[in-house]
Amino acid sequence: MDPFSAEGELLNLHNYFHQGQFQEAIDFDTAGLSAENQLPARVLSLRAQIALGHAEDVIADVEGEVDVELVAVRALAESAGGNESKAVKIAEKLASESADNNTVQILAGTVLQAAGKSEEALALLSQHQGNLEAVALIVQIHLEQNRTDLAIKEVAAARRWAQDSLLVNLAESWVGLRVGGEKYQQAFYVFEELAQAPATSSIQSLISQAVAEVHLGRLDEAEAALKQAIAKDPKNAEAISNSIVLNVIQGKDTAQLKSDLQSAVPNHHFLTDLQEKSSLFDKAATKYSAKVAA
Amino acid sequence: MATNSSPNMLTKFESKSSRAKGIAFHPKRPWILVSLHSSTIQLWDYRMGTLIDRFEEHDGPVRGVDFHKTQPLFVSGGDDYKIKVWSYQTRRCLFTLNGHLDYVRTVFFHHELPWIISSSDDQTIRIWNWQNRSLICTMTGHNHYTMCAQFHPKDDLVVSASLDQSVRVWDISGLRKKHSAPTSMTFEDQMSRGNQNQADMFGNTDAVVKFVLEGHDRGVNWVAFHPTLPLIVSAGDDRLVKLWRMSETKAWEVDTCRGHFQNASGCLFHPHQDLILSCGEDKTIRVWDLNKRTSVQSFKRENDRFWVIAAHPEINLFAAGHDNGVMVFKLERERPASAFYQNNLFFITREKHVRSYDFQKNVESPTLLTLKKLGSPWVPPRSLSYNPAERAILVTSPADGGSYELINLPRDGSGSMDATDTKRGQGTSAVFVARNRFAVFNAASQQIDIRDLSNSTTKTIKPPTGTTDIYFGGTGNLLLITPTAVHLYDIQQKKATAELTVAGVKYVVWSNDGLYAALLSKHNVTIVTKTLEQVSTLHETIRIKSATWDDAGVLLYSTLNHIKYTLLNGDNGIVRTLDQTVYLVRVKARTVYCLDRNAKPKILNIDPTEYRFKLALVKRNYEEMLQIIKNSSLVGQSIISYLQKKGYPEIALQFVQDPQTRFELAIECGNLDVAVEMAKQLDRPKLWSRLTTEALAHGNHQIVEMAYQKLRQFDKLSFLYLATGDEAKLTRMAKIAEHRGDFTARFQNALYLGDVNDRIAMFKEIDLYPLAYMTAKSHGLEEECESILEATGLTEDQITLPALGSPLSPPKPIVSTFKANWPTKATSQSFFEKALLGQVEGLSLEDEPIAASNAFGFDEAGEEDGAKRNGGLAEADDDEDAAGWDMGDDIVPEVESDFVNVDSAEAGAGSSEADLWARNSPIAADHVAGGSFETAMQLLNRQLGAVNFAPLKPRFLEIYEATKTYLPASVCLPPLINYVRRTVDETDPRKVLPIIPRDIESLATNDLQKGYTAMRTNKLQDGEVVFQGILHALLVNAVSTASEVEEAKKLITTACEYAIAMSIELERRKLGTDEEVAKSPEKLKRSLELAAYFTIPKLEVPHRQIALTSGMKLAYQNKNFNSALSFANRMLANGGAAKMLDNAKKIKAQCERNPNDAIEIEFDQFAEFDICAASHTPIYSGSAFEVCAFDGSKYHSKYKGTVCAVCGVCEVGKNGSGLKLVA
Repeated sequence: MDPFSAEGELLNLHNYFHQGQFQEAIDFDTAGLSAENQLPARVLSLRAQIALGHAEDVIADVEGEVDVELVAVRALAESAGGNESKAVKIAEKLASESADNNTVQILAGTVLQAAGKSEEALALLSQHQGNLEAVALIVQIHLEQNRTDLAIKEVAAARRWAQDSLLVNLAESWVGLRVGGEKYQQAFYVFEELAQAPATSSIQSLISQAVAEVHLGRLDEAEAALKQAIAKDPKNAEAISNSIVLNVIQGKDTAQLKSDLQSAVPNHHFLTDLQEKSSLFDKAATKYSAKVAA
Repeated sequence: MATNSSPNMLTKFESKSSRAKGIAFHPKRPWILVSLHSSTIQLWDYRMGTLIDRFEEHDGPVRGVDFHKTQPLFVSGGDDYKIKVWSYQTRRCLFTLNGHLDYVRTVFFHHELPWIISSSDDQTIRIWNWQNRSLICTMTGHNHYTMCAQFHPKDDLVVSASLDQSVRVWDISGLRKKHSAPTSMTFEDQMSRGNQNQADMFGNTDAVVKFVLEGHDRGVNWVAFHPTLPLIVSAGDDRLVKLWRMSETKAWEVDTCRGHFQNASGCLFHPHQDLILSCGEDKTIRVWDLNKRTSVQSFKRENDRFWVIAAHPEINLFAAGHDNGVMVFKLERERPASAFYQNNLFFITREKHVRSYDFQKNVESPTLLTLKKLGSPWVPPRSLSYNPAERAILVTSPADGGSYELINLPRDGSGSMDATDTKRGQGTSAVFVARNRFAVFNAASQQIDIRDLSNSTTKTIKPPTGTTDIYFGGTGNLLLITPTAVHLYDIQQKKATAELTVAGVKYVVWSNDGLYAALLSKHNVTIVTKTLEQVSTLHETIRIKSATWDDAGVLLYSTLNHIKYTLLNGDNGIVRTLDQTVYLVRVKARTVYCLDRNAKPKILNIDPTEYRFKLALVKRNYEEMLQIIKNSSLVGQSIISYLQKKGYPEIALQFVQDPQTRFELAIECGNLDVAVEMAKQLDRPKLWSRLTTEALAHGNHQIVEMAYQKLRQFDKLSFLYLATGDEAKLTRMAKIAEHRGDFTARFQNALYLGDVNDRIAMFKEIDLYPLAYMTAKSHGLEEECESILEATGLTEDQITLPALGSPLSPPKPIVSTFKANWPTKATSQSFFEKALLGQVEGLSLEDEPIAASNAFGFDEAGEEDGAKRNGGLAEADDDEDAAGWDMGDDIVPEVESDFVNVDSAEAGAGSSEADLWARNSPIAADHVAGGSFETAMQLLNRQLGAVNFAPLKPRFLEIYEATKTYLPASVCLPPLINYVRRTVDETDPRKVLPIIPRDIESLATNDLQKGYTAMRTNKLQDGEVVFQGILHALLVNAVSTASEVEEAKKLITTACEYAIAMSIELERRKLGTDEEVAKSPEKLKRSLELAAYFTIPKLEVPHRQIALTSGMKLAYQNKNFNSALSFANRMLANGGAAKMLDNAKKIKAQCERNPNDAIEIEFDQFAEFDICAASHTPIYSGSAFEVCAFDGSKYHSKYKGTVCAVCGVCEVGKNGSGLKLVA
């Protein structure tokens, strides 16, 4: 049965997970679930732990397990733990052997994409049978490849059969932030609804809301949302990196935030990118000089 | 009596709630008030089935409720002893009548006086005046709870029922006299009244007991007067319903209706028919014959006991309240059986009389026949089928399991007579299928008999299982209705010839020409052909009651409250609203004939314009449309949008005045002339660009050219000229590009023109010597090559050249396409349009041959390869015979697809938005934001001669940092990167542009003020940094309008002046302390000079005063009185703070005594000069100088080639195309 359908036992668990409420997902009481849902519930709980940065614990937890789902979790945990080559090896093995398994598609797909193997990830994910998580991943990969057109198509197709599902809304909002214009506002509504309801609010949704507000040019509101997010987790990389962006736009000083980010996530895209651009600048600047030295 | 029970009562509405205790119908609107045991009063619209309102102020059950007949009021009474009067308009309780000492059971308004009557468990009946909100009468006498009390509908009587087992009739004429006209009452009247009426034991003559009716041997729950006759009906806990009669002097029991097997809780007389209705706790509603006191019908509910029953005063509707809500129901079908033939309608009246109605004369015939004996007396006939050949009618009745009668109508129609020669039989439905045959359907046996006029069976048909009804299906055919489908059955072949799945069809209405039929179900109308092919279907939320066909083939149908129309294509709309339900029978022109629920023929007038217009449109009957347009006021937004929506923009165009709409329509129907006219009127870029797209599709390049010119799309214009071979204009474009300083465009045009020299000159101009050299070399311009080598100081052997291909030269146009338009797409000139314009505007065909041959010119021009070109030409020559329209047409889409390809290539490449920014914009800042630092530097170098980029690094990174947000998406994957735009509303990837932090506005409000503060507070070092920061921020920035560019330039000048001023003063301070300076005459001189120069830059007045004060003091101290005097004079001229001016005046006075300088300095107060920003020495006007292309600071010529001291970025004296801030 489709785990996302409104009747599914796992709906709440799924929603917790995708709304970024990882602790709630871990705390979810799985005792009352039917036997067939026990494993998917455990997988989600493990994934939530990985998301919270406890990859090591998860590796220990699934050590020796043979279920393909748990092997896939292992791959994800290795990937998150920084052991990319090992993760990719497992993922590729899974992709060739159990490509029809939903969990394998998602987790191995994530691992492959994280390792930069987008084509392999897409090939694996495209085998899904009406799995919204796979759709969301495909959308994200398309967006990372700057193929907004394909992402739009993917979302439109999913909307036809899954209608108002949380993941479709999220994926549509991701696309919306690329497309812009009116879509900014629509994406904002989705994120804001999640972020502002106490039952669904999470750092992730707060940051998403703030990002939408930055794009809409509502800087003060974005600042408020980001402050809320940082108050919840002062070390959240995305909260800090987006705060830096916001402060730059507002013309404020960002030195403190940059050092925060440096200490929290030294290899964050923002920092590495900036480093790269800085050296690019220096290199480019050497091409020019005044005809007469002063 | 089993036959009497009818399980399928005609329920119209049901609500779910707690126990319903009181019910009242609104006399006019389809509303019902329900008071509930749960203390709520609900107001329902029973027609729509919606809850309109809830009134919740009572505490505890509400038992009685009543609408006022004319005012927007209702009254309620409940177990909180209170009577409340409410306004349903303002939706609140107006006031409360207190007085009862126990539960209030019933409340009713008086039909004309402002009175309310209430009955209560405190054993009293009270009458209240709701206008002055007072109790006017308390009627005592019952010695147990009084359960019900009602006014007589006409007389001054009250009837009451009590658990003391009695029913009492009260005379309240005294009360009326006392309260209605107190002034007109004479003493005699009072005396006579006092004598006439027997006073009760307390001497109260207002209300006296007239009769006490005893007969129930348990408590009586309900009692009611007959609306017209002197009859009373009561219901009691002894399970009996009793009928009473009264005269002037006495009252007696007439009869008893036995049947309820539990307490009877409510009863009433049917408002129009001789029927009694009662309900009880045995969960039944029973209908009794008033005259025979026999049970007519009973309805049983499974679980709910009935507590109250009410009748609508006008229409055939009743409501009963039970344990779980309320039901509104009818006792019988009200659809009059009818049939029409040519100009006559035959119908059966309420009284079961058959009559006819002549549509031409609009007269109703006298009764032709009476059908008293048909079916049961209380069941009206269901259907009527007419046979014109035999002048016979076939009538069916649902009574007794269904029966039919075949009757010949009397030839003379001579008045009411019982049908004599009738033939009858059992059957659910019966219809004529031919002039001497009719079909009888029997639902129970699932069989159809075809009978002749002597009523003998000629054929028997087995219909599909589940058939519920049959209808005429065209000659020799029947339509058989099943719950899910309709079958067309051929009686001859004895088989179904067609089937259509339509659910719940109840009626079939054939068009007058017999080609179409409308199948009506509860909420759907399906139009089919006579072979049962579906033409269209539509859905109504309100129940559909009837339908009839207009002669033109438009179906008019009625719902509960509207008459609507639908065309064959399903296009439908409202014709008019209805006050009450009617059954349509015929439409003729503007008249609709119908029967109302009382089976009275009615004539309604309608406005058929709308559907006739739409019909004419569908049939392309333009004359009629023209007629309609001329004769009716059909012009408006609705018709325009209708026409547009339905694909008739060219017709809509004729109605519109608004230029915007006209433009849209003209584009839609390809009427370029009108579109151009409107675009000129409106002159908006969006319209022009849409016009170009459309004109391009038409191949109308003259319009395209005009639109491009309007849009200032130089690139596209150039390409267009290339395509049309217009070299003269292409040359002009090149000049324009040069004039604009747009090198790319200039290069492009030079390419198009094949102008090598211009290209080389341009490359040299922008220091791209290698390219210039290559160009010259490949075109064999050796002289030019050498001069380039000379200029760069290189020799030929120092250069490695790639292999050179053959030089590029664009082909020469063969035919001057630009002189005339291409064959244009035929504009859609409809007959209608021509008719409206009163002329026929054909296409001028003369141009076409030229245009066709022009096509070659373009086709070949597109080819790059010379050899191929020749081959292509030869081929084209071969094809010349075929050259004509086709070729020309083929080219048009090609042009278009070329444009499209460019777009799709962009999207398909998967480039990020950051890359797009660099493509979309010629502004350096946008390139920086896109991370393309190299191109940004190139741009800045070209525009402003920027060479020293190091100071710009923070600005570059700042812009770059601001462009991307990080959106957390899927878990365990890096965040999605999105690009922040300054064009928030733009979604076209070719137009999006990045956000640039610290725009002009923020610089002017924040940084500039900071700089001023630094100046004021004498923090010049900080100030210099601030102003340089402003300059750097402006150097790499973007604005959106030309006026902002001006603002930015002003800001640059200001920042530059301040930066220079500050650096002058800083240099002076660097000379050393005052003592050190005083010791060295050179330093002193320089110090005095710099102080003087400090006053030169154009600072804000207060700041200039600071500079002047400082200069004046220094000069005065060093006895340079002449300089000091000039500074003082300037200060006084500037004005300002009084203290400062006093000081200046003093110094001025001192200096004027000896206006000589002690130390000669290089400062001529009367000469015009600027300060060299590098050396801080004067540049007198007339002498040569160099400037910084960015900030405009001036330098002595010897500084040419150095980095500007002010901005620190640009090379002095290097002129570029200028600062570019706006795209």
